[in-house]
Amino acid sequence: MENLVEFRHITKRFPGIVANDDISLAVRKGEILAILGENGAGKSTLMSMLFGMYAPDEGELYVRGRQENITSPLVANSLNIGMVHQHFMLVENQTITENIIMGIEPKRRKFGLFPVVDLEASHEKVHQLSLNYQLEVNPRDKIEDVPVSTRQRVEILKMLYRNAEILIFDEPTAVLTPQEIESLLQTIKALRDGGKTIILITHKLDEIKRIADRCAILCKGKLVDVLDVATTSIQHMSALMVGRDVSFTLEKEEHERGAEVLRVENVSVLSLDHITTVDSVSFSVHEGEILAIAGVSGNGQVEIADAIAGLIPVKSGNIILSGNDITNASVRKRIEAGLSYIPEDRHAVGLILDFPLKENLCLKQYYRPPYSNERGILQHEAMAELGRSLIEEFDIRTSKGNDTLVRSMSGGNQQKAIIAREINLDSKLIIFVQPTRGLDVGAIESIHMRINKLRSEGKAILLISLELDEIMQLSDTILVMYNGKVQTIKRANELTKLQVGEYMMGVHVEKN
Amino acid sequence: MLKRTSLLKRLFILCCGKGRHQLLRTSLFCIFLSLLAGTILLLLLDKNPLEAYTSILQGAGILPKGRYAGRKSQLTDFMSLLNYTTPMVFAALSVAVALKCGIFNICVSGIMVFSGFMATVFVGYSNLDPILAKVLVVLIGALSGALVGILIGYLKHRFNMNEVVVAIMLNYIISYVVSFFIQTRFIDPITRQSVAVGQNARLTLFDHPVGNLKMEIALVFPLALLAVFAIKFMLDRTRFGFELKAVGSNSKASKYAGIHVGKAVVFTMLISGSLAGLAGVSYYLGSNASIQPRVLPSLGFDAIAVALLGNTTTIGSFFASLLVMVFDCGTTYMSSRMQVLREIAALIISILLLFSAIGIFFRNLADRYQQEAEAV
Repeated sequence: MENLVEFRHITKRFPGIVANDDISLAVRKGEILAILGENGAGKSTLMSMLFGMYAPDEGELYVRGRQENITSPLVANSLNIGMVHQHFMLVENQTITENIIMGIEPKRRKFGLFPVVDLEASHEKVHQLSLNYQLEVNPRDKIEDVPVSTRQRVEILKMLYRNAEILIFDEPTAVLTPQEIESLLQTIKALRDGGKTIILITHKLDEIKRIADRCAILCKGKLVDVLDVATTSIQHMSALMVGRDVSFTLEKEEHERGAEVLRVENVSVLSLDHITTVDSVSFSVHEGEILAIAGVSGNGQVEIADAIAGLIPVKSGNIILSGNDITNASVRKRIEAGLSYIPEDRHAVGLILDFPLKENLCLKQYYRPPYSNERGILQHEAMAELGRSLIEEFDIRTSKGNDTLVRSMSGGNQQKAIIAREINLDSKLIIFVQPTRGLDVGAIESIHMRINKLRSEGKAILLISLELDEIMQLSDTILVMYNGKVQTIKRANELTKLQVGEYMMGVHVEKN
Repeated sequence: MLKRTSLLKRLFILCCGKGRHQLLRTSLFCIFLSLLAGTILLLLLDKNPLEAYTSILQGAGILPKGRYAGRKSQLTDFMSLLNYTTPMVFAALSVAVALKCGIFNICVSGIMVFSGFMATVFVGYSNLDPILAKVLVVLIGALSGALVGILIGYLKHRFNMNEVVVAIMLNYIISYVVSFFIQTRFIDPITRQSVAVGQNARLTLFDHPVGNLKMEIALVFPLALLAVFAIKFMLDRTRFGFELKAVGSNSKASKYAGIHVGKAVVFTMLISGSLAGLAGVSYYLGSNASIQPRVLPSLGFDAIAVALLGNTTTIGSFFASLLVMVFDCGTTYMSSRMQVLREIAALIISILLLFSAIGIFFRNLADRYQQEAEAV
């Protein structure tokens, strides 16, 4: 079979990380090639280079046997390469047709003079296209009125309308329900049978097993292997994806968990557009226990953390912290009741980037003695004192110490600053959301050790992460969420990584 | 290949690039550019720019004039400068405080009219004792300004309304409602403005004899100076100032840290509004004595650019106000002495305000050049 696309010795580096390390890979015409790997393995980066969003640092790209310099998505389009992004790129308040024809609108001349967009013909063309590929949409619907699965179909139609031959899907099933996944997989198969070439980025093994012809496995930026899916077991693929050598293991001392610190009872949360993101979730966290919430991104985990911290309102249910009902308490009351929170987005939520380090380290305590006196005057010397001791204790590397603008610090040190501030509050409950996202191995290791130490000190820890390794390594109890609901909640030693993965994908449903 | 950064770029980086006093250097660079533009303008009109600028400084009482009319001197000119600067200082502070909290207060003009009108109606036409009247004028000014400020802050916080839209609408509402009352009740048929307020209520003493001179004394100028330092203290040293700045730089993080964002917004607008109110009374019952119906004072809008020229700091706003008013006061003398139309002189001020508004752009550009230069 002819090779449609060839990656030859592609290397791409980002500051502090090699995202793709000397990758050579060929995509054959008319196949479904799955790219498999964990979060951060470099799957999306590799495909983004094919779609012209990044340029490789080293190596060459060949399309249809010719070396191409794909400098922008426009170039990719002209090479008949299309991509469905994880986050849809659609204009909400325009119709499906308008979204599809955008940029290449067919024109006609009104009264033989004024050029206008020929919407009627376009509606018809989109309708035909959707019939041909069995991607049913109503061309006149507005994007904001149609569900997620339809939006995805629009994205696919957008590519087909542009005569794409090579279709890249970036985690297409992450946002879909099981039924929708089923129909999408059928669509992808049908597209392949219709002569298109498909590249499917995913970390869901069962999908690969069902539709892919070949599977390329990436691990930590390196291409591990390219396998024929039909003759390979899921277990083998998963072992390759995770990498055989787990670099380090934590010494976790066994001890009995203590009193209950946090109890969440039947909590439901609505998003801004009134969609239930958290659906009647209950669990509790005890002293000396790490409870980890696992789940594919966007299944309501972050919303739970925000609701416990008081950043978003709860629709129903109760949140009880150390015996106090904090369901409707102010953010500050919750902090004072003993809650520390390391949020997912350290730039937008965790820090004030244009404030100096010492003020960020004091962000949750500035209002009380010794950092301000009873007349509301700040005590800068006390703040500086706190800053110095935390910088020392948590080894925060800065250029100007206390007065460094947080914006100028590295991601790892920014995260250290947040963790330092939150641990310094000496709260009974500490919530970590994606504490190691985007950090290098050394920083990850030190944060893991820190979390483990807090557990030994008898803190109750709620850990929310997309990294299964992290969860398997640290947690005492694992809660898996899917579509806003609790899929299962079990002691960590009763679950294998593979089982957790299956729960995350909604394969098993716990009856209770 | 080694690409050398051009001399011009390096000079620009020196002026606006990173380092000590970057903000101050950029502002000075903007002032320099506008003077340069003014120079070109004057040269095109065949006037001597040096002489023009000198006469501006002379007119504002910074440099001595050749000769003075009876009972006038450089000191009287300077005192008159302070008189006109006072409302601008309040107005610029009002804008700067709101900007620190991330709010764009363009309602300063409307608030000025409102507070000026309130003070005029309640105190301006009364026969109260001068000291009591003046104190009342200041209080009413601050209070009525604060009320409008709270309204804007509340609408922004409670209904998530854009403060710019609210402010524009309020500007119109205030302007038309006030002119309705002026034209039906308080109109002076000759001047077509509101009836002038009594001397007892005015915050400026006119033709006040000091020695053998007659000068204008702005009684609230010390209050303006005090406000500069009080606001500076509030921003730098108080708990509330910390919250205000935190909300201004990142309201999400502020909420996460337990700061009551809505309260901070409303309180900030209370302060900003009362400062605008003080600008209003020191304008309408100070340097002026009556209100022109259906006209929003341009000073309220100029204050935005002035605050930006002062990098939205308190001290910076003070000096920027002074600078702009030097031009404003000096141009009368320049136009009469050099036969330059007043409009041309006003144009130079406009250019200055324009350049001051793009100071941020200059800073970013310089930062980028600097990065390029370091990358090479």
